[in-house]
Amino acid sequence: MSKLKRKLGAKIEFGLFTVPVLLCVAIAFYIPFAMTVRYSLTKWNGISKHPKFIGLDNFKQIFTGDANFANSAWFTIKYAVLYIVLINVLAILLALILDAKLKSKTWLRAAFFIPYILSLVIVGFIWKFIFMQGFESLADSTGWGIFKLSWLGEPGLAFISVLGVSIWQSIGFYLVIYIAGLQSVPDDLKEAAVVDGAGPIRRFFSVTLPLLAPSITIAVFMALTNSIKVFDVILSLTGGGPGGTTYSIAYDIYRDTFQNNLYGYGTAKALILFVAVLVITVVQLTIFKRREVEG
Amino acid sequence: MSTRKTGRLLGEIVMILLSLLFLYPLFLAVINSMKSFQEVMTDVIALPKKLTFANYSYVWEFINYPRLFLNNTVITVLGLAGIILVSSIAAYKLSRTKSRSSAIIYFICIMPMLIPFQSIMLTVLKTARYLHLSDSTWGLGLLYWGFGAPLAVFIYHGFVKGIPKELDESAMIDGASGFRLFFSVIFPLLKSVTTTIVIIDVMWIWNDFLLPLLMVNGSPSTKTLTLAAYTFVGQYTSDWQYAMTAMVMAVLPSIVVFIFLQKYIVKGVVAGAVKG
Repeated sequence: MSKLKRKLGAKIEFGLFTVPVLLCVAIAFYIPFAMTVRYSLTKWNGISKHPKFIGLDNFKQIFTGDANFANSAWFTIKYAVLYIVLINVLAILLALILDAKLKSKTWLRAAFFIPYILSLVIVGFIWKFIFMQGFESLADSTGWGIFKLSWLGEPGLAFISVLGVSIWQSIGFYLVIYIAGLQSVPDDLKEAAVVDGAGPIRRFFSVTLPLLAPSITIAVFMALTNSIKVFDVILSLTGGGPGGTTYSIAYDIYRDTFQNNLYGYGTAKALILFVAVLVITVVQLTIFKRREVEG
Repeated sequence: MSTRKTGRLLGEIVMILLSLLFLYPLFLAVINSMKSFQEVMTDVIALPKKLTFANYSYVWEFINYPRLFLNNTVITVLGLAGIILVSSIAAYKLSRTKSRSSAIIYFICIMPMLIPFQSIMLTVLKTARYLHLSDSTWGLGLLYWGFGAPLAVFIYHGFVKGIPKELDESAMIDGASGFRLFFSVIFPLLKSVTTTIVIIDVMWIWNDFLLPLLMVNGSPSTKTLTLAAYTFVGQYTSDWQYAMTAMVMAVLPSIVVFIFLQKYIVKGVVAGAVKG
């Protein structure tokens, strides 16, 4: 009897500890996700009471006749690849410099980290101001041609602006990850390489870089998951312009659902984004897992 | 030897200059927030002619800054408290219970980390409306419990594994069990990870944009700092001096906190990334 009671007690306690979190994730993720799947199969403007079931028509249209989707997907891929490569290379370079025993290390780390604590929407606005007003004054006082370009008005330049501002905002995050990684590289290993007569470049590629591998794994993973979802900074910096050339997938979904009221169609795109993120994450995790086992 | 010293000094100076250049946009935002419209239009990079906070008092009143600050605080504190509470108890129980259902529940808890918010934003809004959580700062704070739980459960779960089970057992002999055991024995030992989670989540919730935009943008009394700055710029498209004032006012709290807690914030962010 008492054993049964104890077992029951343990079950109740298990429930008391875990049901709250299950409720919370159900409300935040699982119920909305199930609704997304359902709406993606319908045509619905959000006003009529009942969404009309149309099967896979939304998906057919997205993949065959939607230039917006194709353009925004292409933008997002280009952006993600460049973002991942550039931010990691730059952050590693900066981390190497800061790791050399500079006296102002603490200040430098803090300075590069500051933009990361700011909201991306606001960062976008500040840079919009710099590009639109600040560059004019800078061009007047320096005469440099670089400040006379229309950084938000021409498609190619606007792409670079979005990329550059994103990197400016988040480089501090990757920097501190790499600094932490470098600190775990033992000094005697570096010294041994110096004794062996390896130059700084050789030393970097054969000693430091391999030991940084775990940090690179983390940083690439974070850079990928963040860049696929890029949205805030574009909203405030270019608003998708000029001529709709800087729409990302996330922004395209937002436009379809909340600006064009294509609820069914927008959720179908949202579901595609989910599948893409899922596939990319799983592929990445398996690659990294395998490499870690080998290493 | 002395050439090496001068080399290092030179490097140091170059890096400091580079970091100042890096922060120059923020500096420009600050100085232009103190200028008049004409001053901004004639020269952005010049310093303001006189130190005035007229823009600040105007924007302060116009967007009702104290109210926004309160809203941000309510949302962040409520969200954070819930995430910590709900996730820590669940992660503890799941980590201590070795059974199939425990493993499945753990999977259910962390799986949503793979769902991008934009994939469910419309239906989150509908769910929130249905539950009467929308258009209220409290409702938004409550929603964050679910959005923050996956990462927090994941981090706590890994950490609890490292706490010896003998502690639970000896506490049970002393007569403590259930929530009392957890809060008096286990929770204090989780302090370091709790700090990590607090830092990551405060930065996220305080600055979050899209979810608040969908949930609480309807009325001035429920807006957050970032939302108000966003709306404000929409209304004052060419009045850059006011726009910059609103920007500076929106980011100032974060910067002040960062200056004082720099060491902990950087440490927490690194720890969160490494574990997450």
